[in-house]
Amino acid sequence: MKTEESIMQRIADAAKAVTRGVDAKDIEHWVTIYIMGRAYKVPADLTILTAMEYAGYRFVRGVGCRQGFCGACSTVYRKEGEYKLQTGMACQTRVEDGMYLVQIPFAPAEKAAYDISKESYDASVFLKFYPEVARCVSCNTCTKSCPQDLEVMDYVQAAIRGDFQSLAEGSFDCIQCGLCAMRCPADIVQYNVAQLGRRMYGRYGMPVPKHLITRLQEIEAGKFRGKMDQLVAVPREQLEKLYASRVREAD
Amino acid sequence: MEPDIHKFPYYPGCTLKTTARNFEVSALACAKKLGIELVELPRWNCCGTVFSLTDDDLIHHVAAVRNLIRVQEMNRDGMVEENRLVTLCSMCFNTLKRVNLLVKENPENLEKINNFMYLEDDYEGNVEVIHFLELLRELDPGAISQRVERPLTGLRVAPYYGCLMLRPREVGIDDPEEPTIQGAILAAVGAEVIYNSYMKVCCGSYQTVNDKSAVARLVYDILSHAQADGAQAIVTSCPLCAYNLDSRQKEVREIYPDFEQIPVFYFTQLMAVAFGFGADLCGFDPNQLVPEHLLK
Amino acid sequence: MGKKTTGIRYVGGYPEYMRKLISIVHKTRAKRRDYTPPPMTKEEQEEVLKLHPDYAPGGKRTISVGPNKGDIGPTEVVDLVEAYPLVEEGEIDLSKVDYSPDILIIGGGLAGTSAAIWANDSGIPKEKILLTNKLRHGDANSIMAEGGTQAADRSVDSPERHFIDTIGGGHFANKPDVVRALVEDAPLIIRWLLDLGAMFDREENGDFVEKWGGGTSIKRLHSCRDYTGLEEMRVIRDELRSRGIPCIEHFPAIELLTDGENRVTGAVLWNLETGEYKIVKAKATILATGGFGRLHIRGFPTTNHYGATCDGVVIAYRAGARLRDIDTVQYHPTGAAYPIQIVGYLLTEKLRSSGAQPVNKDGEAFVFPLEPRDVEAAALIRECYVRNKGITTPTGLRGVWLDTPLIEEKNGEGYIDKAFPGMRRMFARFDIDMRKDPVLVFPTLHYQNGGIETDPHGKTNVEGLWVAGEVSGGVHGKNRLMGNSTLDCLVFGRRAGISAAEYVKSGRGGGALTLKHVTGYVKDLERAGIRPERRSPILLPDYRGRAALARMIDVF
Repeated sequence: MKTEESIMQRIADAAKAVTRGVDAKDIEHWVTIYIMGRAYKVPADLTILTAMEYAGYRFVRGVGCRQGFCGACSTVYRKEGEYKLQTGMACQTRVEDGMYLVQIPFAPAEKAAYDISKESYDASVFLKFYPEVARCVSCNTCTKSCPQDLEVMDYVQAAIRGDFQSLAEGSFDCIQCGLCAMRCPADIVQYNVAQLGRRMYGRYGMPVPKHLITRLQEIEAGKFRGKMDQLVAVPREQLEKLYASRVREAD
Repeated sequence: MEPDIHKFPYYPGCTLKTTARNFEVSALACAKKLGIELVELPRWNCCGTVFSLTDDDLIHHVAAVRNLIRVQEMNRDGMVEENRLVTLCSMCFNTLKRVNLLVKENPENLEKINNFMYLEDDYEGNVEVIHFLELLRELDPGAISQRVERPLTGLRVAPYYGCLMLRPREVGIDDPEEPTIQGAILAAVGAEVIYNSYMKVCCGSYQTVNDKSAVARLVYDILSHAQADGAQAIVTSCPLCAYNLDSRQKEVREIYPDFEQIPVFYFTQLMAVAFGFGADLCGFDPNQLVPEHLLK
Repeated sequence: MGKKTTGIRYVGGYPEYMRKLISIVHKTRAKRRDYTPPPMTKEEQEEVLKLHPDYAPGGKRTISVGPNKGDIGPTEVVDLVEAYPLVEEGEIDLSKVDYSPDILIIGGGLAGTSAAIWANDSGIPKEKILLTNKLRHGDANSIMAEGGTQAADRSVDSPERHFIDTIGGGHFANKPDVVRALVEDAPLIIRWLLDLGAMFDREENGDFVEKWGGGTSIKRLHSCRDYTGLEEMRVIRDELRSRGIPCIEHFPAIELLTDGENRVTGAVLWNLETGEYKIVKAKATILATGGFGRLHIRGFPTTNHYGATCDGVVIAYRAGARLRDIDTVQYHPTGAAYPIQIVGYLLTEKLRSSGAQPVNKDGEAFVFPLEPRDVEAAALIRECYVRNKGITTPTGLRGVWLDTPLIEEKNGEGYIDKAFPGMRRMFARFDIDMRKDPVLVFPTLHYQNGGIETDPHGKTNVEGLWVAGEVSGGVHGKNRLMGNSTLDCLVFGRRAGISAAEYVKSGRGGGALTLKHVTGYVKDLERAGIRPERRSPILLPDYRGRAALARMIDVF
């Protein structure tokens, strides 16, 4: 085997635990978790998601990107001896001994239909599509349930007073897992309220950059057409030369 | 010479950020002119809107207490050195002050609320909720009139109080039967103050949502009595009163065809005119009735 | 936090021995602050690329059936192409049609979703469109795109420049007319997203904050913090939902249907939960099923989502679609190498374009941070496995440091919180503060460079079949540039949506629903001597524990 090929083999061997699942014989430390009430002994270094897989679950629901972006693996758990329910993304939360857990793979929450090009850029848009925002009693349960650690209640309050910027920036990192809405005593769908608010802010809160408008006009007017016609026809050698002679923009 | 600036924590409330922006804009400008800087609470939330009278309904007081904690934080972080929280909207004032009173008088309730809000600092009960009008009343005599650049001489104005800044008595900022706190300011800016007994009659409040005609009848009583006493304009400090008194005039005319419309302002708008501020700071609604000579 | 069950002592998320190595990085930081190793010459690049998984010997074999017979591909991909179907002719009832849209779109990432919206804008009524998803709508690689979207919209930039960068990065294997469509439409796509309400990073005056992407000659990257794909996906998904365009979830396509004469006429969908199949009859079919990261080509960890299993390529290939550049795989230079829970996860290139440097065990900056991805990845492999200057983790993986504290030294305190909230959050969950300490990185399987060959309108060589996004081949050549993938999805999603709508409106499309092509393909497999050991598409990877699997009884 050539050196390069054996290096590839060494890389694959080192990554086996990640690409093919951990092997019990490599594990020193174990914890017991309760998946929907039933106890399983799993390696201590796993996330809830990988621990459930280790235990024999093959996911069809409750899993998506596996890296904390998509919000598919919402999980509610409680630790033995504690009364508080906690929340987390199964793919981003380490298992702990005595964890009782269940996944919430779907949030049956309302999503309003609208055309943002026809709505007015003020607080009334929230009362129109999500009138229940006015029921917020500032209990902060939503904030406590957010696996992204967002100040959810603060952004709902911003919506109520039409502060689009605070709402948009405060909710920007939302992965729409739905846990806030599932816990809200006022039945507010925080993440959908935020989605509406961000889109309104994105469209109306900031001007369209002038350089973008200019470029679109130039394209429309055919400014680049001739050069592009030539470029797609030039032989590879010439493209290579053009590529090699690029001047890098200053930092 | 501009006065020294004194910073107060300030709670705007949702309405002042939406339909009553003109109230906030004019109030902040007038305050500044008088050496008062109203520093908006960081991260404030809804006041709770209506004070809940149910004994065991503590969840509806959480919102107000959370705002009071923000005042503590502002003091802790050096943003202000002032425990008195200034409000403008009568509804917010009433709710915040009553909750503050309730938790100060019921340590057990306060403890429960504090425990529920375990992510926040405990509320220690040291904040005092006041209305901007109270702050103006404290100023040296003449402080307001000295700043007047354009006295409202000849303008006959009826102050309207409604319920929320007078009742219940323990939170009221003035004599609930014979209030003078707004009238004194109007007089200081040169207007002629028209007192009448309807200035503390309920405006109809939230009945405006489901029974417009009931509200229209109350509004007619309030406005027509003021007009009969010679008033050319009404002032108030409550966005809900202002809304009812102003917007329901259409329905009033349907019931009483002889009724003539009358403009409704926030007291701070008339102060702003008298202080010589431009239209942007006076915040007159382009659709609002404004006496000709006021704008000249 | 910080409670560990092992005997090793951890400080700030790292075991003590790694902590000692980090102190070397801290020591050399001041020296490196204003020093960047020069970009490699062409010869140096060629030399180091021998260590790239695409060029290192092994890991590939020749395809023995189908339109690309004789071409080579990664073993894992060829295994799926040379596998038997899940259903064959006669096994299912094709006479009862469950859905009959004008346009069927398979896959709801950025490409499929934008195709649906643009088809609707081009005059196809919403109820005549069907978007089907294997997982939930939006659970796709799109939503995980961190860095940004390229578009030549600054006055100092131009579509030609974008063209040259893209085609050079792709080693001149790209289809020029397809690249042209990509770069010419880019500004329009950005404008479209703005009108839909996407929140790009902006300067005070409203101009875009534009950043470097590896392999580009100019700053051209439009970002939304480090959640660019998430923001773009959320916005267009919300638009699709607001319009009420029909969308079904957990319903992958397991086979295309054809009229038996080189025309796609529909698909067989399969309910992942109940196992029931549904028959779709469509006049036009747009395939937007994404890539193949979950095949773990050459045993690499991946940045890809759970459903990236090459399904689209497999079913289209059986229907006669030609593949292109399927032999090249993009390894992102900087996947997380520590801690074990996040190995392989993407650490966006924007970290490097914002100042973070790859640093070896001795605290040296050893490579220009923004080489094209294949070169950068190979350089990291060389540092770890040839020069032996990598850092070995407690589980035996090797990596080099990515010196993230440099980002704040160069851009000011608070910059990481603002620009990389997702990254910071991910490491903080494992007690690592990337503002203060470097993070450990190693190349990770990221992107399927090639795929089903497309023309500038997303059309394939099979009538009635369009492709868009990662499943397609031609636009990126043999190596995709940063910021060109979300752009690819949005440009060709749009073009495929419009082109398919025009096709339908002109009265073409549709036909008999058969699996004749599958029968023919199976015969080819048999003739090639391939035994019926494997079936495909696989739909999902399997990470179940071996101990649990060993005792499983298949009852239901």
